Amino acid sequence: MPNYQLVYFNGRGRAELCRLIFHAAGVPFEDIRLDHTKGEWPGEWKAKCPFGQLPVLVVDGKMLAQSKAAARYLAREFNLAGKTSWDQARADMFIDEFDDISTELYKISHEKDEAKKAELREKFNADTLPRHLGYLENLLKENNGGNGYFVGDSLTWAGLGIANVYDLLGGTDAPFAKFPLLLALAKRVRENPKVAEYLKTRAQTSF
Amino acid sequence: MPTYKLIYFNARGYGELARLLFAVAGVPYEDIRVERASWPNEYKAICPFGQMPLLEVDGKILAQSSAIARYLAMEFGMAGKDNWEQARIDMVVDSFGDILQDMRVPYLETDPEKKEALVKQFVGESLPKRLGYLENILKENGGGQGFIVGDSLTWADLGVANSVDYLKLMCPNPFENFPLLAGLVQRVREIPQVAAWIAKRPETAT
Repeated sequence: MPNYQLVYFNGRGRAELCRLIFHAAGVPFEDIRLDHTKGEWPGEWKAKCPFGQLPVLVVDGKMLAQSKAAARYLAREFNLAGKTSWDQARADMFIDEFDDISTELYKISHEKDEAKKAELREKFNADTLPRHLGYLENLLKENNGGNGYFVGDSLTWAGLGIANVYDLLGGTDAPFAKFPLLLALAKRVRENPKVAEYLKTRAQTSF
Repeated sequence: MPTYKLIYFNARGYGELARLLFAVAGVPYEDIRVERASWPNEYKAICPFGQMPLLEVDGKILAQSSAIARYLAMEFGMAGKDNWEQARIDMVVDSFGDILQDMRVPYLETDPEKKEALVKQFVGESLPKRLGYLENILKENGGGQGFIVGDSLTWADLGVANSVDYLKLMCPNPFENFPLLAGLVQRVREIPQVAAWIAKRPETAT
């Protein structure tokens, strides 16, 4: 088994999907969380990172940057990427959509002007988010009625992705009120034994 | 051979990487171009997320430009020889996504004074910083006179070459200070199928 290190800050952020994939697959890894207040970042790591940013995945000493690239690599290694090349492409599509949602959230959290921030958040909650979740609900329904998975008939990293979006949106059912199939899938994934075990024990962090 | 349709605006934009892949692979496809003035049209209802580009393969639908390009690259053998190379390619391609994110604000700014300052910051700081990392990645791959990942053409190389066309919207010579990247772009654009496609594709502003 290769030696895996995942390097990020102490938060879910852009590393959590990788962590969920490791845990769902039952594969051990070193979950390195750098504390910038102790000089651990930039520290020695920044110069080693392919783009000077975190997260990075280190596999037997070789580095991979970009959170989606790392997550896809792991998903493929652990048979969580989809069973056919078409299924894999469909899973990629869902992952990109989740990324679009989190990019909108990052824009809001990075907005310094409080008034503008409130305006962006309002638009996100009233319009952007329901639109994204609506598309996802429809696509889920198209896969055998929507009581299974996004892609094919087994868990893929797309399912782990929506479980992660659940946390990103605050960790409550509320944003999913009008999207029952999506909510049920997020919960099903979060109740998967290995995932549930991880969720119980993982560090509570602010992001 | 499957029947392929690519549906996008009459623009390079988020559709061009797929078109370059079809061109290099020599695989025929229907290059459906929608004029901006006529969007949304009947295609919107079949777009999984309401947006183009869309790839139709024997009637089955795929959205999201990276997912589309990666699928085609895999089908056409231009995605890297193993999972690690595939991931390194994804890493390079995704970094251009970051560059595009940085580019959005200056590109969309309408106030001339603000725009000038934002463009200056992008062209002077954030772009060279990201290109510097890419130049290193290329250099670390056997000196940088070949391809950016592995030892044959992949969609990462096409992504690098394609980026020049949109970065030129911000500055005339984006890879001016990055000789290895500039060399790669030149090599890719000289590939006969790429050169032929660039010569025949519709001229569009973006």
